[in-house]
Amino acid sequence: MEFAPVLRSEWLKVRTLRSLPGALLALLAVTTAFSAIAGASDAADPGFDPLFTALSGVIPGQIAAVTFGAMAVSSEFQQGALRLSLAAVPQRGRWFAAKAAVIALPALLVGLGTAFAALLVGRAGLGAAADGLGTGAQVRGVVGCGVYLMLMALFAAGIAALLRSGVATLSLLVPFILVVSFVIGDATGTVADFLPDKAGQLVLRETYDGTLGPWSGLGVTALWTAAALLAGAWSVRHRDA
Amino acid sequence: MTSIDVQDLTKEFGGRRAVDRLTFRVLPGRVTGFLGPNGAGKSTTMRLVLGLDRPTAGSATIGGRPYPALREPLRHVGALLDAQAAHGSRTARDHLRVLAASNRIPDSRVDEVLAETGLASVARRRVRTYSLGMRQRLGIAAALLGDPEVVMLDEPSNGLDPEGIVWIRRLLRRLAAEGRTVLVSSHLMNETASFADHLVVLGRGRLLADTPMRDFIHARVQPRVRIRTTDPGALTSALARHGHAAEEHADGHWTVRDARVDDIGRIASASGVPVLELAAEEGTLEQAYFDLTGAETEFTAQPQEA
Repeated sequence: MEFAPVLRSEWLKVRTLRSLPGALLALLAVTTAFSAIAGASDAADPGFDPLFTALSGVIPGQIAAVTFGAMAVSSEFQQGALRLSLAAVPQRGRWFAAKAAVIALPALLVGLGTAFAALLVGRAGLGAAADGLGTGAQVRGVVGCGVYLMLMALFAAGIAALLRSGVATLSLLVPFILVVSFVIGDATGTVADFLPDKAGQLVLRETYDGTLGPWSGLGVTALWTAAALLAGAWSVRHRDA
Repeated sequence: MTSIDVQDLTKEFGGRRAVDRLTFRVLPGRVTGFLGPNGAGKSTTMRLVLGLDRPTAGSATIGGRPYPALREPLRHVGALLDAQAAHGSRTARDHLRVLAASNRIPDSRVDEVLAETGLASVARRRVRTYSLGMRQRLGIAAALLGDPEVVMLDEPSNGLDPEGIVWIRRLLRRLAAEGRTVLVSSHLMNETASFADHLVVLGRGRLLADTPMRDFIHARVQPRVRIRTTDPGALTSALARHGHAAEEHADGHWTVRDARVDDIGRIASASGVPVLELAAEEGTLEQAYFDLTGAETEFTAQPQEA
């Protein structure tokens, strides 16, 4: 079987399930709203990073990206949906690759748009406090943020394929993102730097210290994502549908 | 000529044998009824044929090729496994368009099968608003999408209204008449008897029978003659004179085993017995099935299939 028809079919699945475009819309709305709030807040903190403050809406907003990735996969594990999909496309590796592609591309594009919008409203709120931000850092922040959101969506997709459940995936990842990283996150220089979300978020900062830089941090997240996708692909290929 | 060939097929789930060294062939041009109690392995066999489950041993092929080797498989094999498989939030039309796209089937064919299954007027409604019968029709529409030579349906009459049951019966007969290979599982005997030409019967994952339906019934159920009279005494003595034994039933009718209706009619007439009713009682598929499965009492109360 050729890849293009499989890709087209998977893309049609994303488009025709209202909740999936809805999750991407939520990503844009939540991130921009929280960035606006953060930008308008007090900037007197000694560790103040104008780029991170402007993009900080991504921290709650990424839950929408994770939900998008998890639901796009978990919709296949409801009732006999997977059997129907794999009867149409018996090459399971190819099928899962198409699934990952139709999660990655919309997440990346909406992620880039979201990052740009968040930076604009965040900077508007910060006013003079953000004047020192260089163009290079801002471009890096927006592009990195888009890639980060795509990686998180794919990470959730891989976990969902492995666990075969959207509920299980979200109850694992949402507390992880909101609580675990938040609590141990301030302790820099520990293994916490290498958590999938913490490492990737370095790209959102103007200044950084520690072992990882913005791109190497994103690389660590990419490794986590690759591992999750491989585990998901293995599960799809080797288990009875 | 596309047949389904199942060869020594075995599938174990955690030590339990769901399918046990099964060998049979489903030929084109006729409807093959796939019978057996719940948990006998019918659905598992279908999943194995579709390459969805991996066999523990043996093989299943379609036209000599394993299912995953088929190029654009929906154009060769159409299957209905679970009517609930369509996502509730999609419209029926979108559900079919998604399937069609993966096998390069044009959208015009989607509208054709929607019309054929009587769903054209509700095609743009979300599947969650559908009744079980409508979902069943949508599942059949999906099976017919690629105009396949092989059609496999798991319990297609489930949830259909009387009109729908007549419709599916005609559809199955037509598909077979067009030369397609049709395998239909069911646990409804009378329903299966109305469309099947051939039977494959499973019990506890093993093959119990693979015969034409008529032969299956005739081999297991003796034909009887049913007769009602106002003068039972005269009837029984007339029959006894010709070596026939009659049994009386609670509602007053009598049955004569191992007899032809022509002979009994002549005997009654020659003896002047007043006859109110006289008919041949053909064996039913249900009787034949219970005769077969009764021998294997162990599977009368099987756990339900997941």
